[in-house]
Amino acid sequence: MMPTAPKNALLDWWTERLARRLAGRTSRRSALARLGGLLVGTGALPLLPVARGHATPEADDVPDDSMIDGPAGDPTDCNYWRNCAIDGFLCACCGGTQSTCPPGTEMSLITWIGTCRNPGDGRDYVVSYNDCCGSTLCMSCQCRRTEREKPPYVLFQNNDLLWCFGTKSRAVHCSVSIVLGRADEA
Amino acid sequence: MRASRSRVRFGELWQAGIGWGLVLAALATASPARAGEEVGHSLTLSTEATARQHWFWLSDILLHRAGLFDADHGQLIGSIASGSVGVGFAIYPHRSLDGSQIVIPESYFSRGVRGERTDVVTIYDAHTLSFVAEIPIPPKRAEYMPGVASSALSDDGRTLAVFNVAPAQSLTLVNIIDRVFIAELETPGCSLVYPAGPERFFMLCGNGGAMVISRSGEEGAWAARRTAPFFDPEGDPISEKGARVGETWLFASFAGQVYPVDVSGRELRFGPTWSLFDDAARAENWRIGGQQLLAAHAKSNRLYALVHQGGEDTHKDAGSEVWVWDLATQERIARIPTGNPLASFIRGQAHIGADSVSDRAASWALETLLPNPGSTGIMVTPDDEPRLIVVSLMPPAVIVHDARSGERIAEITEPGIALGLLARP
Repeated sequence: MMPTAPKNALLDWWTERLARRLAGRTSRRSALARLGGLLVGTGALPLLPVARGHATPEADDVPDDSMIDGPAGDPTDCNYWRNCAIDGFLCACCGGTQSTCPPGTEMSLITWIGTCRNPGDGRDYVVSYNDCCGSTLCMSCQCRRTEREKPPYVLFQNNDLLWCFGTKSRAVHCSVSIVLGRADEA
Repeated sequence: MRASRSRVRFGELWQAGIGWGLVLAALATASPARAGEEVGHSLTLSTEATARQHWFWLSDILLHRAGLFDADHGQLIGSIASGSVGVGFAIYPHRSLDGSQIVIPESYFSRGVRGERTDVVTIYDAHTLSFVAEIPIPPKRAEYMPGVASSALSDDGRTLAVFNVAPAQSLTLVNIIDRVFIAELETPGCSLVYPAGPERFFMLCGNGGAMVISRSGEEGAWAARRTAPFFDPEGDPISEKGARVGETWLFASFAGQVYPVDVSGRELRFGPTWSLFDDAARAENWRIGGQQLLAAHAKSNRLYALVHQGGEDTHKDAGSEVWVWDLATQERIARIPTGNPLASFIRGQAHIGADSVSDRAASWALETLLPNPGSTGIMVTPDDEPRLIVVSLMPPAVIVHDARSGERIAEITEPGIALGLLARP
């Protein structure tokens, strides 16, 4: 179940892709300033995963969920394949979808990540879990899965943290699962 | 017309005067005890050690409070509302060394879930639970579920350390005696905070090492230094949900390996490690899990862990049993079924007691027929007749056991809505 590529290479690849996507943006100085603060002195530690949640992944990066039968293809089900390292409430049950926030909330750009296997093609994908922030807990479709999840000392693989950073509100409402790409392309 | 209006005004005043007089008279007679009933004032908490020995704090992440419960009487006896409702999870009250004050790091937002953020370390009177003072700190304190090791009070009771994620990791230090902010130290790659002696703390780091934060001498500056790695964060991470016995912190890895951290000397000493699970337990897939999964009783030198049967990466799964080890022999000496929190919750809501035959039959049916969602947290009181407190986040339930025999003693009905951290008062 582990990704086929070494973790650091995977993070490097992912960070590079995200950095490219972020490069064109100029309106996120607050979040980027926080990112800068985090990177100071981190040395050999994995680079910070910053997901541009509004970005649309390249079409061939995202497997077709309609080909998956049962709970593993249902974004409102905890067993949905992308949810392998989520802990919170599924936005698809709260007025959003598996990749968009419900009205009244704002997507955090700084996230934790997981690596989940898609049952449709048997491949591993890197998934960004973004908190949607701005309202109190959704309380629908609570889901806790912990595949490869780590304690808070491995910050960006920890799903206990309140990840609403750079948002107008620190109140987490629900979480989305956005596919960033294939893990084996690292 | 003017005279008439004056009379009316005078009449109203006269009536109002009589009304206020009655109210004041009622209040005056209300304050003293009347026919054995105390009314009209707030109670204070007992200072008797024997009365307090089975008290415990239990936070609620939806009510945003720390509730103080009495395990002997199975009831809430006081509470402190903490932080803005709707934001954050880490609510952990610390007891000052002399027992006179409660110290809690908190975050407030000027418009509820939004607006200007203010983080403070708040001091409450330990007997009245009323506000005493607050110390502003950088608005960066980490919020995570349930908030184990999100703050720590140094063993000399002088300094409170607050773990920050903004998302850069750092540590805020506060002198709670002089009530002043001391400093914020950058702690890149390291999280959480544990007390480790007078004016010393340690954090756990992503490379498997620790960061030690200490002060050199009475007037010295605070500084951080790293230790060599002592666990494998990739192969078998340790849970941050540790327990302390005297001068030793104990952490259990996901696979059940115990990592002792001795904080008695000038340097932290690690190991040797030992396993919670023998071959038979491993064959049955017993693992640690939960949101507050480890507890200890120093006087009997026992370790308690919440365990369940499950596969890899089930370190947050709720527990069906509490296992007990003698730390001297590292042998397991007891298994305590934690009971069914769903049955406990329904018993409380339906007012099903234990006095009548029908109630006992209903209770048995609930325990037996309902699926057991498991328990999420444990604590052991430190006294000579220790209680094992077992809580469930959702459904909210608290079941109290005799920590030595495992016998179920009581349960607390309606302990809250969504239960978080247990703490010693």
